[in-house]
Amino acid sequence: MRIFLIELSRGDISKVPPTVVLGPVDVLIIFLVSIVAGFVGALFGLGGGVLIIPFLTLVEGVPVPLAVGASIVSVVATSSSSAATYVQDHLTNLRLGMFLEIGTVAGAITGAFVAVFLPASALFILFGLILLYATIIMIRARGIDFPANVRPDKASRILALGSQYEDHSLNRVVKYEVTRTPLTAFIGYFAGIVSGLLGVGGGIINVPTMNLVSKVPVKVASATSNFMIGVTAAASASVYLLRGDVHPLLAAPLVIGVAGGALLGTRVLKVTPPTRVKVAFGILLAAISLLMILKGFNLPVVL
Amino acid sequence: MDLNRLVSYSLRIGVFASALLSIVGLLVWSAGGFNGVVAIAGSKIAGTLVSAFSGNDSGIIYLAVAVLIATPVFRVAVSSVYFAYEGDRKYVLISLAVLSMLIFALVSGYAG
Repeated sequence: MRIFLIELSRGDISKVPPTVVLGPVDVLIIFLVSIVAGFVGALFGLGGGVLIIPFLTLVEGVPVPLAVGASIVSVVATSSSSAATYVQDHLTNLRLGMFLEIGTVAGAITGAFVAVFLPASALFILFGLILLYATIIMIRARGIDFPANVRPDKASRILALGSQYEDHSLNRVVKYEVTRTPLTAFIGYFAGIVSGLLGVGGGIINVPTMNLVSKVPVKVASATSNFMIGVTAAASASVYLLRGDVHPLLAAPLVIGVAGGALLGTRVLKVTPPTRVKVAFGILLAAISLLMILKGFNLPVVL
Repeated sequence: MDLNRLVSYSLRIGVFASALLSIVGLLVWSAGGFNGVVAIAGSKIAGTLVSAFSGNDSGIIYLAVAVLIATPVFRVAVSSVYFAYEGDRKYVLISLAVLSMLIFALVSGYAG
């Protein structure tokens, strides 16, 4: 009944889903690539869509809507698989994640509502420039993962957001406070709009924001972002599913591959020094922000 | 049980079930001689999900996707029950806010 209502409201009952012909070799290759995507996604708190969409469209010749649909399903898998480990290891800040989810989910819904009115290209350029700036700060301050003597703001104190995690690369327990929470939540709302509009942007915006604005250690930021993006992606994935943009032969190898790759990624993040995580993330961030800016100028970039 | 374990188990069970169904779906597909499979839209999905129980390959994979999408939603629901049990009002409100927005998004088909 619910599905029926959505169909009527969307008015696309007669819509024929885009198709692609896939054989066993394609499925095997997609599976292998998705292991890499899950690994990278789990390591940096992203969905891994930035790798999957270009691969599916450029290498496998999959139509863009099907590539995006498959990618968003794999984001849910990467997020859930990696968060299962990070949450158990107390690397994820559950309270911070849940609080920030209010902003990102609200943003994703807003994004879907206002898609027609918002200048998507302007948003792309704006966020591309902000992320490029974040890249520079992140790499320059790579030695200091989070400053000492951070004073928690009022919201942070009320919600008891400060926490600690055991860093296996430093062999010590790292205690941290969370500051400027309202600003991070506000930026998270816009990150949600961007991801609701364009299917990318959730994790890539949330990780530097948590680290640079709220002074959350980078590994906690990545683990918490992984935890958060599953919720936003699940909401989007259901829409793509009903639209007919989820192809079973793309979804199945992706889900299996990213779930496995994400498990590998969580193991690597645990033992990697924060400095190295920041530099690697910075390089990835620079590449993605440049792609975002190019896309904002309507250049043919797949993202 | 603490919240971290509860959330971790919820996520783990969901992903494991989804990956297992995906594997079974692909095995059935290969046993059937790699026949052409197409993406299905809208109200036809319900019927396809039902066909999973009679061993239809794409039905099994659609079931895997449905289980996967339900996993984070279930995680938020579990968290709100936990906070309610603990009497943590602030976080009951926060998790219920997220849950209601999620349900709104799923039902209305927004948040694309």
